[in-house]
Amino acid sequence: MATILETALAAGCFNTLLAAVDAAGLRGALEGPGPFTVFAPVDDAFAALPPGTVQTLVDNPAQLARILKYHVLAGAHGRSALVGQPEWSSLEGAPIPIRRSEPFEVKNATVVTADIACDNGIVHVIDRVILPG
Amino acid sequence: MTTTTPAAGTKTPLIPPSTHRYAEVIHRLEAGGSMLPDTPENLQQIIGIYKAYAVPMDFYWRDLLYIAEQVFLNPLPAFKYFISQEYLDRPCSYSGDQSQLRIWRGGEKAHPELIEFMERGETRRMPKLLHHLWHDRVNMEFAEACMQAMLWHQGMGGRFNDYLASDAYKANADRAIKAYFKGNPLMLGLYKLFPDMVLEQVKQLSYYSNLGLFWEVMAPVFFEMSDLYDEGKLTSVPQAMDFLVNGIFAVAGRPIYHHVFIRGECFEIIPKSEGFTWLYEAALPYVEAVFYRTSPFRGTKSYNAQAGQVPANQADFHYGILYADVFPVGSAGIPPTLLMQDMLHFLPPYLQEMYKTHRRGEEDQLIQLGITFQRSMYNVTSAVIQALRCALLYPLDDSDPEHLTANRQFFEAQMDRFLRPEARLPDIQTQDYR
Amino acid sequence: MTLLLLLLLPLAAGLVLPLLSPSRPGLVRGLAAATALAQLAVGLLACGRQPPADLSLSWLPQLGLSLDLGLDGLSLPLVLLTALITAMAVLASPADQGRPRLYFALILATNLGVVGAFLARNALLFVLAFELVLIPTTLLVAIWGGERRAGAAVRFLLFGAVSGLSLLGGVLAFGWFGQGAAGADTAVSFSFEALAATPLPASAQRWVLALLVLGFGIKLPVVPLHGWQPISYAEAPPPVVMLLGGVVSKLGAYGLLRFGVGLLPEAWSAFSPEIAAAGAVSAVYGALNAVAATDIRRLMAYSSLGHMGLLVLALAAATPMSLQGAMAQVLAHGLIVALLFDCVGLIQRKTGTTVIAELSGLMNPIRGLPFTMGLMLLALMAAAGIPGLAGFPAELLVFEGSWTVFPRATLICLVASGFTAVYAVRLFNRVGFGRLDNNRADWQSTRLAERLPAVVLTTLVVLAGIWPAGLTAWSEASTAAIALRHSDRVVQQLALAPSPSSLSLPA
Repeated sequence: MATILETALAAGCFNTLLAAVDAAGLRGALEGPGPFTVFAPVDDAFAALPPGTVQTLVDNPAQLARILKYHVLAGAHGRSALVGQPEWSSLEGAPIPIRRSEPFEVKNATVVTADIACDNGIVHVIDRVILPG
Repeated sequence: MTTTTPAAGTKTPLIPPSTHRYAEVIHRLEAGGSMLPDTPENLQQIIGIYKAYAVPMDFYWRDLLYIAEQVFLNPLPAFKYFISQEYLDRPCSYSGDQSQLRIWRGGEKAHPELIEFMERGETRRMPKLLHHLWHDRVNMEFAEACMQAMLWHQGMGGRFNDYLASDAYKANADRAIKAYFKGNPLMLGLYKLFPDMVLEQVKQLSYYSNLGLFWEVMAPVFFEMSDLYDEGKLTSVPQAMDFLVNGIFAVAGRPIYHHVFIRGECFEIIPKSEGFTWLYEAALPYVEAVFYRTSPFRGTKSYNAQAGQVPANQADFHYGILYADVFPVGSAGIPPTLLMQDMLHFLPPYLQEMYKTHRRGEEDQLIQLGITFQRSMYNVTSAVIQALRCALLYPLDDSDPEHLTANRQFFEAQMDRFLRPEARLPDIQTQDYR
Repeated sequence: MTLLLLLLLPLAAGLVLPLLSPSRPGLVRGLAAATALAQLAVGLLACGRQPPADLSLSWLPQLGLSLDLGLDGLSLPLVLLTALITAMAVLASPADQGRPRLYFALILATNLGVVGAFLARNALLFVLAFELVLIPTTLLVAIWGGERRAGAAVRFLLFGAVSGLSLLGGVLAFGWFGQGAAGADTAVSFSFEALAATPLPASAQRWVLALLVLGFGIKLPVVPLHGWQPISYAEAPPPVVMLLGGVVSKLGAYGLLRFGVGLLPEAWSAFSPEIAAAGAVSAVYGALNAVAATDIRRLMAYSSLGHMGLLVLALAAATPMSLQGAMAQVLAHGLIVALLFDCVGLIQRKTGTTVIAELSGLMNPIRGLPFTMGLMLLALMAAAGIPGLAGFPAELLVFEGSWTVFPRATLICLVASGFTAVYAVRLFNRVGFGRLDNNRADWQSTRLAERLPAVVLTTLVVLAGIWPAGLTAWSEASTAAIALRHSDRVVQQLALAPSPSSLSLPA
């Protein structure tokens, strides 16, 4: 199996996410043993944000890192584990609510594909960028 | 993700209508509108007042940063409003050719109308000191009152306030304080005796920086809106609101920091690497503190503490601009008397005309423009509400009824804050409220 | 000539006014104001030189009625006050006054009656003028008053009629029992000299005085004869109340002074404890009702009632200082009540209401009535007796003069006077401060023409406060001459010692 980042690269629809991970300097962390649960927004999710949002974040690594860390949980949790708890604490610190199990919704994003297993964790593909608050 | 309106009349609503007292406003919000009704008069009023607000705001943010970064812990800051040319010329990050994310088409230095006003004031050309003593200047006290509202209300979301209590901050502040007072045994002794007092001053200065960085964004946004309106490109209130929403998102990730320059050396009291963002650490606390809460009306009214006339719970404070009784009382804070005085100097001609023909004409211009300002701030609040909905909830044209219900609940929760009698939301729904 | 002129001016103008064209209300108002101001000017000229000689023209000798006119220390200041307040009342009337010709003609008719009464040196002439005042004032209340004007006018008329009748009866009895009993064949003369020359037997004095006190007591008014006053002051248009409270009520004071203290001293001394008690009761009653009032005009009506109580106390004490105080109170109160009702009139015209609960925040400098409220504050302070304003020297003299004679009544009046501060502050706090209701604040600010009467009256109130001789000097000699008791020597030395002043007139 590949690492989370390799899986993302191979999928081909996470270019913005990968660029963001690089800009935020989180590549090293996400290549580590983990394990992590990553909610990965597709490129369209980033594109749907109003113009300039992503650019501002990319220009400011610390702030970008915060948003990205909000998409990561410690530990590898599959869908069935995730729906068992109403809220999970992200690496950023703010909680991520699990709003529905059918369809599987994480905060205001719908999980398009769940439980993509990787060497150092599990990836769930989401259709929106989730934000703390 | 701009707020899109669902195709009108092509499908029956997926959820039943709201039964909230402000159902009409909620439905308007769900259709992508603003709390302020969409009429040409409203649009003209709010755009005009945005422009009138942005010019003094240009001074506010520059001077706030000047105080936070240069004046710093000066024990007798008699000249803190005497902004240096460097800060007047400090390039705004969101206007001018050098800007990475250009919001306003204009220049990056202080607005020319502002410069002209600083020269002349309401009276005539005089030395700056005389202008200052005669109080014929931009009322910076208003900006400081906003800052103090944010400082005092504290826990309104975001990490900023917690960071100020952390050890890392204390260490940074300590370094800066010692550097600032190097060679001043009196102040260093005072610091040793009362470390918390000096630290508290530094926290206040961090809030100066916070507010300055916040307004550095808002000024070009308002200028651009005024220019677009003059060109005819902004034709409705929801459009104006959408511009604000896009602006909020575009700048949401801007870092909030506090750098101090002591004898040419930069001390990062709050470094950018802490990850504080414009949206969470500046904008949302500002809206909460200044639009909703602030502090009780300091006018000719007394409050009976035993009768609980001032809420015991700070979160219940309702003295912000959205609730204000817009009468000038002369003090800083809300009602924004000092700001109204400032805005009076920069009104566009179409607003001046409008005020002349109503009630007492030029005599009660201040109140008229204050009420217009209140309307415009409802529009800004609507933009914040829509932005939050966009960030944390679902699109307005979502087809899932559960999502729409979640949106509805969010809007209703926001409207619940306007149920109290002091809220001006019902008043702004008509044009009579002038 | 001067004396006749003082009467002819309002008479002529009052006759001319109805003939003017109705399409020029400004002209009508201007003429009325000019008449009153001319009257004031004539009066001021009269006190500059030698006092005008008494005029005596025979009119109806069979009845003993002759046109005896004269000005002395008691009546001159009152004539000046009348002329001034008439002018101010005319100027305080709105520019769009309804039926202006009739309105201003009635005001001038009232002025004629009051000035005639003050000028009269003949008791029957006095009564005639006194009665003359009744009809125009009733019409003014009945036609231009508020919602309950009909009831107010009826009460006003009834009480006024009783007052006039009892006054007539008293004067006639005075004349007939006095001179008639002397058995002379000549017709009874009602001139003051004649009445003064023939004192009545003691029991007759008491009856006559009782009738006179009834008549004048209704006019002042004094509790328990005050039933007409609060509602009339509350329902009549404020400029009319300026006249009623500032001028017409002074007829009662003048009458008590002239007839009671001046012409029936023994009976007056005998009744004075009861009269002082009535004054004290009046003061307290007025003050307490003012504290409880819910409408500004009623509050001021009761305030006026309270101040009249002080006046009555001073008259009852009848020492030279208290009589000085009474005259000072007459002048000061006249100015103050006129100013108060002028301000109330402005408030009513602009906001549409005088109910305290409906008003708030009028001091607001941008959408309120700051100028009016500022002057009203001054007027309320003056009514409360704050030093530096007209009310203080008047009340000081009243209390100092009455203290030795009626200590308990004076103490009660002092406490009541303290209550004026209570209702003044409460009123101003409710109406001036607080939050202005933006939805109702749709009036224009006051213009110079609207402010003028208030400014003039305020200037005089302040002037009288810092120059008290302006209130007392006119009448010092006259009041000293008719005083029944002597001031305590100690008090006399401490207070304003009467000194000959250029203003003072011979008794």
